[in-house]
Amino acid sequence: MVAKGESVHSMKNGFLVVPFRLPVTRFLPGDESKHHYMFVKKHQSKVQEEQSCLFVVNIPLLTGLETLKSAFNKIFAQYDTVSHIEDLLYHDEFGLREVDLSRLTSDLLSTGTPEETRFTPRNTALLKFVDEASVNNCLSALRKYSQSDKSKSIEWEYTSPSVSALLDFYKPLPKDYLKEDIAEHMSIFEQREQQAQEDVQSSLVDEDGFTLVVGKNTKSLNSIRKKVLNKNPLSKHESKVLPPSAVDKKAKQDFYRFQIRERKKREINQLLVKFKEDQERIKVMKAKKKFNPYT
Amino acid sequence: MSGLKRRVSEVNDLKTDGPNINKKALLEHIENDESEDRLALESEDNNNSNDDSEDDAEEEENKSTTTTTGSKGQSSGTAAQDIHIIRETAELFKSNIFKLQIDELLQQVKLKDSHILKVEKFLHMLHDLIHEVPEWEPKTIAEAESFFKGKVVRIPFVDPKPDPSSTNYKVDYKTPMISLVGSFALKAGIYQPHGSAIDVLLTMPEELFEKKDFLNFRCLHKRSVYLAYFTHHLNILFKRNKMDEFLQLEYSYFNNDTLLPILKISCKPQDSHISDYNFYKTKFSINLIIGFPYQIFDSKKLLPNRNCIRVASNEPNQSLPATPLYNFSILSSTTYETYLKYLHRAKKQTESFVQATTLGRLWLQQRGFSSKIAHSGTLGGFGTFEFAILMAALLNGGGNNGNKILLHGFSSYQLFKGVIKYLATMDLCNDGHLQFHSDNQSSSKYVEEGFQIPTLFDKTTKVNILSKMSVSSYEILKKSAQQTLTMLNDVVRDQFANVFLTNISRMDNFRYDICYDVVLPNGGKTKPEELTNSTFGPTERIKFITLENFLVNKIANVLKFALGDRIHFVDVELVGKRDTFPISKRKANSGTGNLLNFDLIRVKLLVNPSESEKLVTRGPKHSEEPTPEAVHFKNFWGSKSSLRRFKDGSITHCCVWSTSSTEPVISSIVNFALHKHLSEGTRILNDRTKQLQSFLPLPNLPASSKTSVLNLNSFYNLKRSFDDLYRIIFEMSLPLSVKSILPVGQAFRYTSLCHPVPFAYSNPDFFQEVVLEFETSPKWPDEITSLEKAKTAFLLKIDEQLQANHGDNYKSFFTRDESIPYNLDVILLNVLTPEGYGFKFRVLTERDEILYLRAISNAKKDLVPELEKTYMKFTSKYVASVRHARTLETLSHSIPFFSPVVRLFKRWLDAHLLLDHLNEELVELIALKPFVESSPYSVPGSVENGFLKVLKFLSQWNWKEEPLILDLVKPDEELESGSTDEDPKSTEKMNLGQFKGIQANFQNLRKTDPNGMHVQFFVASKIDPSGILYSSGIPLPIATRLTALSKVAVNLLQTHGFNKQTIDLLFTPALKDYDFVVHLKSPSPLKISSGILDSSEFKNLANDKLLNSFPSDTSSLSRKMDPTYQLVKYLNMKYKNSVIFFSHRYMAVNGGEKGDRNVITGLIKPFFKKPQKFRVNMDYNSKPIDEQTVELNRDAIFHEIAAFCSELLVKFDTD
Repeated sequence: MVAKGESVHSMKNGFLVVPFRLPVTRFLPGDESKHHYMFVKKHQSKVQEEQSCLFVVNIPLLTGLETLKSAFNKIFAQYDTVSHIEDLLYHDEFGLREVDLSRLTSDLLSTGTPEETRFTPRNTALLKFVDEASVNNCLSALRKYSQSDKSKSIEWEYTSPSVSALLDFYKPLPKDYLKEDIAEHMSIFEQREQQAQEDVQSSLVDEDGFTLVVGKNTKSLNSIRKKVLNKNPLSKHESKVLPPSAVDKKAKQDFYRFQIRERKKREINQLLVKFKEDQERIKVMKAKKKFNPYT
Repeated sequence: MSGLKRRVSEVNDLKTDGPNINKKALLEHIENDESEDRLALESEDNNNSNDDSEDDAEEEENKSTTTTTGSKGQSSGTAAQDIHIIRETAELFKSNIFKLQIDELLQQVKLKDSHILKVEKFLHMLHDLIHEVPEWEPKTIAEAESFFKGKVVRIPFVDPKPDPSSTNYKVDYKTPMISLVGSFALKAGIYQPHGSAIDVLLTMPEELFEKKDFLNFRCLHKRSVYLAYFTHHLNILFKRNKMDEFLQLEYSYFNNDTLLPILKISCKPQDSHISDYNFYKTKFSINLIIGFPYQIFDSKKLLPNRNCIRVASNEPNQSLPATPLYNFSILSSTTYETYLKYLHRAKKQTESFVQATTLGRLWLQQRGFSSKIAHSGTLGGFGTFEFAILMAALLNGGGNNGNKILLHGFSSYQLFKGVIKYLATMDLCNDGHLQFHSDNQSSSKYVEEGFQIPTLFDKTTKVNILSKMSVSSYEILKKSAQQTLTMLNDVVRDQFANVFLTNISRMDNFRYDICYDVVLPNGGKTKPEELTNSTFGPTERIKFITLENFLVNKIANVLKFALGDRIHFVDVELVGKRDTFPISKRKANSGTGNLLNFDLIRVKLLVNPSESEKLVTRGPKHSEEPTPEAVHFKNFWGSKSSLRRFKDGSITHCCVWSTSSTEPVISSIVNFALHKHLSEGTRILNDRTKQLQSFLPLPNLPASSKTSVLNLNSFYNLKRSFDDLYRIIFEMSLPLSVKSILPVGQAFRYTSLCHPVPFAYSNPDFFQEVVLEFETSPKWPDEITSLEKAKTAFLLKIDEQLQANHGDNYKSFFTRDESIPYNLDVILLNVLTPEGYGFKFRVLTERDEILYLRAISNAKKDLVPELEKTYMKFTSKYVASVRHARTLETLSHSIPFFSPVVRLFKRWLDAHLLLDHLNEELVELIALKPFVESSPYSVPGSVENGFLKVLKFLSQWNWKEEPLILDLVKPDEELESGSTDEDPKSTEKMNLGQFKGIQANFQNLRKTDPNGMHVQFFVASKIDPSGILYSSGIPLPIATRLTALSKVAVNLLQTHGFNKQTIDLLFTPALKDYDFVVHLKSPSPLKISSGILDSSEFKNLANDKLLNSFPSDTSSLSRKMDPTYQLVKYLNMKYKNSVIFFSHRYMAVNGGEKGDRNVITGLIKPFFKKPQKFRVNMDYNSKPIDEQTVELNRDAIFHEIAAFCSELLVKFDTD
């Protein structure tokens, strides 16, 4: 299977297979034939920011722009091409930005940048080049590289976090930085809020000359709560019981004889249904051998 | 049915030599009479009641049950009839489902008709053979002995063996009267997997006895010779008829009573030519009991308070002690038939009698009760026979004025419950007793006069039916009945399985809190003289008959006095007791070299958790003139007893004990008391308690190894420190005033794995969480990032004021919190108190929830599940945590053992690398199950018992089909008066509506997720009816692994015992199960800075290592933190889709001697173990196989992990 895999240079849907040799470590059985595979394809998009890009799938762990640059430059050097990488876009290795809570709760803070609305699937990114020529150079170099002998493939250099880097996660946040950050953020927020308020008030004068004075998200908490409460995942599985309406409450349930008769009938039917259910349950339990006192 | 009846009555009739037919007719006549009587009685009963119309209906219903249940087969009945039955069962039984369950159960345990026929065939043949045994002429003992010389059979003389030279009475054999007794005769036998015994009574003819034969073992010796002679000839007859190939004859003790040797016939399998008489497959065995004729001795002389064994006494005027066991043994040998008749009458009069007896039998069996004599250990003296007699007595009265407790028309359930209720609520030992008349001359009556022994007295025969019970076994029976009554009164849950199906006596360690094995100095060879600290003289011998009985009684009494209210119950079992022995032996232990008929004594205790760990055993008050109590106390405790003055000024005799982190106080008391009162050489073994409790991490605090597991002082210190901080923050003047400061951390509810230790900041739980709420304000930003920033601004204000006013004592700093996915702006205020504790504050506003909900409603469909998870995380962290913490804190106060048990459970989970994947709240709720839903067991009273029950529950929990619904209220204490009917305090308990609601939630959930792919553990309570708050988002492999591990654990304990080795295995992770294992070593060991003490360390050394300050720079705290935690967190994030990573969360506890080791293990999801089609969004590290397919690139992943672990990596194992 490995031998078969060796010969794959590009996938059917046009992705180039770009192998990198895994570095030798003393902890894992080392072997020249083991590789990491990246899949690369030219990115087609109408978005201005995403011109001259390569779509890259399966980028190794903790890879930043610099790491990728140096690896690709090695390939370029092998095939004597020149190509300039500008940026690595939408690379979200740990899936931290998959959900933008801020945008989902309010549109006040939207910056309008594509970073905010656009992202690529996990384990993929866009590699942006300075110009179209660079992309083409790069692609042709990669094509040659992917078809070349595996023994010539370039060794990947992993970036390893140091212990102190890991421990830094526990470090306190500098208070000054926090204060500054908050002050900055809050001023932007207040400004936007003000702006939004004004926009709403100025624009919504209806035909009769009335002005709408509240924004859509500034209603009283209770009314908002009512609107979103049905989204509560915890009550998703609860059986809903409608509270009796005012009319129902007042009406007498045992005024007419037929009401009493119906009620009795209902009760008996309920009893019967319950009994049938119980019988079914017993049958199920019996099938599961639930009545053996000696197990 | 009728055919069967006839056959049994035929066997009944065998006792009469006269023609069968007449007798049969007579019997039938009597039966008819009785049934008429019964009808009359019933109508009388009905007339007694007030409401006529209701009664009519009832009566009608009664009839309809009999008719419809009978005719149900032919016509399925109209709907009207059905309704009738349904309505009626709801009244006669607990509920319809309960009745249906009882029906199924009774069906399940019915004896096979073919088996009955088979064994009856043998019984007929046996009857004929017995008549062939030749009669004998009167012989002296010496002659009899010489007769058996050189023969296979020995005479099973009871101790002491008669001296042939000085005995002058004659022994003899004359053909006995034969009758079938016991439950087989009553047709109340049930199928039992280990087979049941059929009791055949051979009554010795009257002419063999003299009036005074009940004295000094005389009649017993006569019986022994009679039995031996009979056995000898039966053996010959079997041989002659070529039945010795499959028949096996053995002596046995009836009900373990050594005074009552019997002959037991059982079958062996045959390879070929299986005889018609071979009943091996039916698993029956036949007990041939030799009885005495009814009223052959003066029953008054055999009353329990009379002496019937005369021994020489040194002091001539001293009256001899009573010999109750001996008297009962003789008297009850005369009454087998009397009681058969008595029960038969009850059966004829009461339709459901047999069914109720069967229920009783099952109930007793599941709880380990039997008719065996309790004086030689185990829960004896109350088996099916005693249950049936009690029921019959209650059908004839039983109230204070002889009013009837049970009525003949009752259903089986009502009869059963009535008996249980009687047992649970009436005291038959200390405060009163029940007397009845087996000849039905007058009604049974409860008499308020207790004999200090369990008493159910038959005025007719003068037999105390409960003679075989010891006080201990009675107490446990009563407790069991009380528990069962509570279960039967439970209208919320279905307790059927707990009442009838669960065998709670299977493993002692599940049922009892602590067990000890007591080995006498010389094991089974110990002579009475070797028990240096107790005397077994002639008076003791006639009182207890055997040394075994004496020891059981002695140990039970010593422990009861020594432990007092520290325990609820004590049960003593003789392990290795033989109850059958070959017919070539005189008694069970002859030939074994043992003097005693057991190997060791097992002492089993049910602990009273609220008293068990107290340091002082208080005795009587000191006075000038020593009172008898004081003398007894001093003698009992010897050097241990001392005089102390207490706070209230009283001077009292007492004993002072010391606590330990690994052993309960009870252990030291048991050790001391048994050494003092049996012998110094006695060994008391228990290697599990210490072993298991030492798995609880020992805090690095002064004298921690001398601190009881129930001691919560370290937690209280933390709480005190928090209270100070609380006051400071509350008094601050802030733009919005503080509404509430709610502590939610684990330490506040005493469930953190490690004890809070001052300055031990490497402990992952060091910073205890607190939720801060300000007064409501409309001004909170309506956008989540800004809201978090605003909260942080408030925290900064608090920090400012804290530093300004208390800066020299309190240190504070801010950290980012990642507990809410995708919300990266949560900032927590961390405060270090001068006492050495840490707290982290998060802010809750009234707007948070709405924002999270709004995010769900605004999100695209594919993101909704993620956002729902986020919402639930938020709810559990900010909102539900408050309720959870409060509820568990209160509960912990009334359930002392919950804290150590849940901590040990967490330790176990972390040892198996699972803890990190489970919410702490979920873990705590699971651990709470055996405490709040303990039935059919009692609430755990030791760490080992609680922990075992948690594992057992997990191993049996079929979470696909069963929800775990917990009622988080204090478990029922002992029922004072047994008034279990609707007491008002049960308002806080869960009611049926709430329970049903939760059940419906579960069913709805399972409709969308039938196999539990998304939510496995449904754990709900009144404070969280959703049941999914803490358990959603657990990967399926984690849940199945948890179940599998607990199954393995329970299985291990059941097959290999609960001991040192198995406990060690229990906490050893199975690393081989994973796809790869990465061993890590952190540069800085964390054990000391986590506040954990190595139990092996020297105490004085440890004291030097006590932590006493924080580093001056808060940023250097991070140096002593766990880097592996972050590592695993990011690995899990990176490979979320394809690999699950596991590791120890508490490196200081599970990370080797210094706490610097950890492992990361991984499971590759099965989906990724086979090739996939190449897609852009497939999200896993892949390598191409051909142009379209790819597979997981394991090597590349391993290299990535190795690179990621870099400096920490020690070893990388791949399979």
